[in-house]
Amino acid sequence: MSQDFERRTREVLEESTARLDGRTLSRLTRARHAALDQAHRPLRKRWRLYIPAGAAAVALAVILWVGGSRPVAEPGPVDDMDMLADSDAPVFAEGDDLEFYEWAADEIET
Amino acid sequence: MTAFVIVRGVYNTPVLRDQESMASRALEQFLSSVEKRAFKIAQLGLRNDDDALDAVQDAMMKLVQSYAARSSEEWRPLFYRILTNGIRDMQRRRTVRGRIMAWLPMRDAEDDEEFDAVAQAPSADPTPARRLELDQAIGTLETAIAELPPRQQQAFLLRNFEGLDVRETASAMGCSEGSVKTHYFRALENLRTRLGDVF
Repeated sequence: MSQDFERRTREVLEESTARLDGRTLSRLTRARHAALDQAHRPLRKRWRLYIPAGAAAVALAVILWVGGSRPVAEPGPVDDMDMLADSDAPVFAEGDDLEFYEWAADEIET
Repeated sequence: MTAFVIVRGVYNTPVLRDQESMASRALEQFLSSVEKRAFKIAQLGLRNDDDALDAVQDAMMKLVQSYAARSSEEWRPLFYRILTNGIRDMQRRRTVRGRIMAWLPMRDAEDDEEFDAVAQAPSADPTPARRLELDQAIGTLETAIAELPPRQQQAFLLRNFEGLDVRETASAMGCSEGSVKTHYFRALENLRTRLGDVF
């Protein structure tokens, strides 16, 4: 009795499946082909998809490495000359303190 | 550079290409053998043709992407595991959106698209009376199945319609074999109660 019921319901479902319309069958076929196409895509070509991202990552790493390791510029002799030549700061070249400034500059260099 | 040439050379050997081609043919045969029943299961679970097609296509894609290398005996339970998970996820999203489809009639996808005379052509059938009888049986049964609780519906369709055994059904549903037996028994009882006079 139970097996008859199970068999009958199975037959009806099979009949319903056999009646699927052409549009649905066509879409199922397209779905299958789309799934299989991705499997056919050779592995050796897939790595090419990652080239742009890889190149960008390498470029970024190089920029960060070079930029990060660049030493902070310290004032050198040229900067001192600029300061002394600056018309807005004449006080450095006036008075009796000139020797003091020379001594201070030597201390900085050493 | 040398390594690349060697790898490429090995990959292009006729033996590997033949193996790849055989595996591809086996996959195509498998997908072709399950796609109609898979669609029917998704259609009954989702009550919408477009969503059902999306669920089947997603399951095909994921199987090929992730499990193509597995042995072909594993494909069926894996495929239905992916499909039932996809159906369940769609059902949950609908619940979240508040779209309670159980009280709505099955949407006819053709309503949204142009009429296709070839697609709509009736299949060859022995007699109009027999066809009408089958139409009624299909409608009644599918409505009853669609209204089963999801787990009972899955157990019934995978066991009775798709023909998976208890172990495969448990694998596909992600539950124990005992749960499969319980869900299947309750599904049969529910359907018998509703369809007893018709079937």
